[in-house]
Amino acid sequence: MKYSKFIKAVAVGMALITATGSLPGAAYAEGEKVAVFLKNISNPYWRAVRIGSEKAAKEYGLDITIVAPTKPDNIEEQTRQVEDWIVKKPDAFVFVPVDYKAMEPLVHKANEAGIPVINFSNRVENVDLVSYIGSDDFTIGYEAAKYLFDEIGGAGKVVYIEGVPAAITAQRRKAGFEKALSEYENIELLTSQTGMYRRLPALQVMENLLQRYPEIDAVMAANDDMAVGVVEALKTAGRLDGVPVMGVDVIPDAAQLIKDGKMFASADYSGHDQGYLAVVAAARHLRGEEVPANISLPVVIVNQGNVDPWLLEPEQKPTPDWDAVIAAQ
Amino acid sequence: MTVANSQETMPAKAPLSENVTWLLSRMTALATLIVALSFASPYFFQTGNFVNILKQASFQFLMSSGLTIVVLTAGIDLSIGAVLGLAACVGASFLANGQIFYGVGSALLVGFTCGLVNGSLIAYLRIPSFIATYGMLWIAVGLSFVFMDGQVIYGFPESFRVMGSGFIGPIPTPILIAAILLIIMVITLNHTKLGRTLYAIGGNRNAARLSGMPVKFWEMMAYGISGLLAGFAGLVIIARTGAVDAGVGNDLLLPTIAAVVLGGTSLMGGRGGIVGTAIGALILAIILNGMNLLGVDTYWQIGVLGSVTVLAVLADDKISKHIDMRG
Repeated sequence: MKYSKFIKAVAVGMALITATGSLPGAAYAEGEKVAVFLKNISNPYWRAVRIGSEKAAKEYGLDITIVAPTKPDNIEEQTRQVEDWIVKKPDAFVFVPVDYKAMEPLVHKANEAGIPVINFSNRVENVDLVSYIGSDDFTIGYEAAKYLFDEIGGAGKVVYIEGVPAAITAQRRKAGFEKALSEYENIELLTSQTGMYRRLPALQVMENLLQRYPEIDAVMAANDDMAVGVVEALKTAGRLDGVPVMGVDVIPDAAQLIKDGKMFASADYSGHDQGYLAVVAAARHLRGEEVPANISLPVVIVNQGNVDPWLLEPEQKPTPDWDAVIAAQ
Repeated sequence: MTVANSQETMPAKAPLSENVTWLLSRMTALATLIVALSFASPYFFQTGNFVNILKQASFQFLMSSGLTIVVLTAGIDLSIGAVLGLAACVGASFLANGQIFYGVGSALLVGFTCGLVNGSLIAYLRIPSFIATYGMLWIAVGLSFVFMDGQVIYGFPESFRVMGSGFIGPIPTPILIAAILLIIMVITLNHTKLGRTLYAIGGNRNAARLSGMPVKFWEMMAYGISGLLAGFAGLVIIARTGAVDAGVGNDLLLPTIAAVVLGGTSLMGGRGGIVGTAIGALILAIILNGMNLLGVDTYWQIGVLGSVTVLAVLADDKISKHIDMRG
């Protein structure tokens, strides 16, 4: 029936108007506007973050806008975006800084403008936050390195492939790696070189290092894109057997390599869950609920034994249970 | 001796002494670098390491060869990395389903189309090349983001991956591909009317136009070829790495320009050539390889690359001034 279709359309339209909050007065009216700032939209890790936050927005009826620099981790671009959004004055910011220091004054401005800020993934210091959610790059570098060192019995020669030298994530992950290194006296760091967080440079650097070092017992890369490049270089050189490669992020093709036993492991701090929980925290805060100031998520080491859920697309991943996460704090 | 031979067939080009000078200066730089690194690291002068260097230089050469043509016409193509990325992303979407023909075809088509758009804007609408191609850079980056939606495409057929990571006999395929491309380009640039036209456009545009050369058409085609070769380089790169995401072309532009400049092709146009770019790609690969072998601190590596490039431009400037004065 054409009419019933029309009526349905009107009904849906009205529901949408209600949902986007244009009808004032309702208690906890849904549709609060929330700007979700991410630092990168090109890699699968941040895609998972985005999908996680979109799931929360759908579940809680928030009107979210994803804001991310087109050039990954670009300070100048995120600065402009934050300034623009302070003017637009949404109900809340869910915020990942491209650089926690550089963005500190901007979060101050948001504070002054009275916009509640939920921070996740990288903590911004000296500002008012409703809540901080996540692990951090230092911890993930540290935990991943320890797991790798234990795999080779706490003794051996190790290569570290760094991220973009200027990126704060790369510096923090390296610092975490170095802390672990200082705790294992029989682990020798052969060299630490940059693969620029990218596969091709990492592959080429590893090829060169394989010439330089006839004996390498393990390799850790600051992200999975590079770890996959390292695996490729080792495979081509016929030296993949017995050399565990550790990465960070658990991107899909790294998960596949781990499943196939070609890559040793990767560390994840669940971008999907962080994105989800941060937006849930925003919704609950806006609806007058108490939200813990600190919600920490454990680093998960993903190896051949537990990799299966990471082979799922982020759309199919189950969302974490808020109450359980809060209870675990 | 292609450069010397080319002399007879290229009236629009600079005198013989100049070509020999720049080629010699590049060869000397290359030789010095090899000798120095052989002393500095016992791991450098090894067959395995040379194969590595050649392989890495081959990728650089594939990226820089198209740019060389554009630079010869006194232009610049800043969109190379981005177009390479877009072409690789589009191609990969077919390749992951095992459709090699469509994958390769679409990547080349995307590259060529972007290049032709650049070329039309520059040759016919007279938009400065650095602006037109800078615009294309962002268009291609934007399209890549939209197309990929933050995903990684991986799992290409092995028969395709041979192109980037396989061997033909004992020789890694990318080295062979680069060698063939080098030969084709040497012949095209030095022994065909097209080559003469490209040099003439960069050397003296007005003279070229007055002598009846279809300047606008070939200037446009220079960018078309640059885009096509960027698409091709994108294919070889993803055949090597086995995966692609929207950021695959990031950070490829500067080394690509560096190899051309290190090879002695003048940014003013009309002077230099593809053999120089091959040498430039080798120099770049050797510097990176050397820094890896010597364990140069990460923070320094990027600075070293930048400095070498600037020094090369300065040297080039001095040499050409010297030649001009002898005039």
